[in-house]
Amino acid sequence: MEKTITKDLLKNELYSDGRPAGELLYSRYSGMLYSYILQFVSEAEAGTLLVDIFARLTPQLNEAFDSSLSVYCWLQIESRKIILEHLRKRGDEAAGDRGPAVAASYFSLLEDALPEHQWVFREVFLYGKSKEDLALESGRDLSYVTQLLRECLGMIRKNLG
Amino acid sequence: MNIELYLQSGIVESYALGLATQREVDEFEQLLPHYPELKEALRDFEYHLELFSIDNEVPPPAEVRQRIEDRLRELPAIPEARRVIRGDLPDYVAAKETSEYIRVHKIWRTLFIVVFVLAKIFLILAIYFFIRYRHVTQK
Repeated sequence: MEKTITKDLLKNELYSDGRPAGELLYSRYSGMLYSYILQFVSEAEAGTLLVDIFARLTPQLNEAFDSSLSVYCWLQIESRKIILEHLRKRGDEAAGDRGPAVAASYFSLLEDALPEHQWVFREVFLYGKSKEDLALESGRDLSYVTQLLRECLGMIRKNLG
Repeated sequence: MNIELYLQSGIVESYALGLATQREVDEFEQLLPHYPELKEALRDFEYHLELFSIDNEVPPPAEVRQRIEDRLRELPAIPEARRVIRGDLPDYVAAKETSEYIRVHKIWRTLFIVVFVLAKIFLILAIYFFIRYRHVTQK
């Protein structure tokens, strides 16, 4: 059996035997998404966010099928929007305590990166800041911030294999 | 466009991780169908990202599953119309007729008038010849 799941396979499984879409999504993606959420919030909040994410994204699943992205990437991106919205609502841009999965998060792919790289990626990815805002806040040049982020993304691609 | 330079800008990773701006997303999605290299780079990155996430998944606490199931049970079912898998689409759209009127091609109006007029002519001729026949028979 393939490790990753394609859109067609997921669509077939979701719609062929009348199983509720949520069940298959849960069994397939809950662990991955829970680990993803733990990059942003503590365990105490991660469970509630996971419930919210599944409840909000399952009815929109057709958007994932129509998207250029894989189902998992679409889920991640939409989950991140919900997480950042949650963090903004609670007024804690520092994202609170990190969960136990931080070591296995995307930041583990940047272990060997310079602190500056990690800073840019943290601010953009975890706190949802734009490069422009980050450059303005930190007093650094936009082109410098852009270059750091580009290098981060290159490292992530390289370390993913 | 120099696709190699574009790829090196980190656009694929940025797009797949949701870090791209709306303008970058729009541009990327416009270019995607025209450059197989972009599609391949995106698929490759997504594949490795998903494998990484599978290897690092953390099972959520057991009670979370129950809460999710409870919430999902409250959701309406996915509309039946969307359950048709793309590629298996029939050549017609099933539609429920609600109007009491039917719509036909305009040529049928002309044909109907011609048939109606001819029918009248034949009817008049039939009556005429019938009367003539009765008249001759009586004589």
